[in-house]
Amino acid sequence: MALIVADSSALILLSKTGLLRDCCAVYRVVAPASVIAEVASKELIRKFPDARVIADLLNENRIRVKNPGKSRFRFPASLHRGEKDALLLAWDTAGSVLATDDGKAIKAAKWIGISYIVTPKIVVEIARSGHISRERARDGIERLGVLGRYSPDIIAHALIQLSEVKQ
Amino acid sequence: MTKLTTIRLPEDLVEEIDEVVRNGNLERSSYLREILKKGFLLDKQERLFQQYAAGEYSLSELSRELKMDPWTLLDALRSKHLHLNVRLEDFLDSSGLST
Repeated sequence: MALIVADSSALILLSKTGLLRDCCAVYRVVAPASVIAEVASKELIRKFPDARVIADLLNENRIRVKNPGKSRFRFPASLHRGEKDALLLAWDTAGSVLATDDGKAIKAAKWIGISYIVTPKIVVEIARSGHISRERARDGIERLGVLGRYSPDIIAHALIQLSEVKQ
Repeated sequence: MTKLTTIRLPEDLVEEIDEVVRNGNLERSSYLREILKKGFLLDKQERLFQQYAAGEYSLSELSRELKMDPWTLLDALRSKHLHLNVRLEDFLDSSGLST
């Protein structure tokens, strides 16, 4: 079972697609405490129902909180604490994949040499696992275009990849 | 605390401002300070969004600069018709997941 280290963008977008719970059922998901503070603080849980989903999964231990060791990198560019912690945790955790939807974090992941995945691809992978139908995955990817602000070219490519998934 | 600053404005703009001040029974200096601040904040926001789109800011950095939580920020991107700063090649290069 693959291990995903999620940053705040990935947790938010998966929650907005309604597929975060499915993701946690198929993969092991961990996130640093700083990321959790950014997306599911008490105030945010009150304000956003999707933040409540993250909190529920944390309570159920389906999302685990794990912090990175001490920083050994001088990142090529400035990053916020949560993004930095997620990158370092992915580096620390052998065989893990960083889930992020941030261009700058992706650039840093490429620079460090760690595997990363973006949310539309995660949705395709959940469908590939057989855990959700292609129709549900399609709905999730389309939501990523509208609510998740993914560009139309990426959404189009994700839908093409989804259409190639055998179920 | 305030600091005195002198600027030259187009005559027609000054006339329009004075009309609003008269009609609204406002204090001219306070009103000018208020609209300058509003305009400045809007401009700052626009510039930060542009920097985000260019990949100079991450989503969380933008969130901090705008003093906006990431959930609200995504809604703001939507209302401004902006996209995430993830490029197609980032999507194509991203890895798969084994189950």
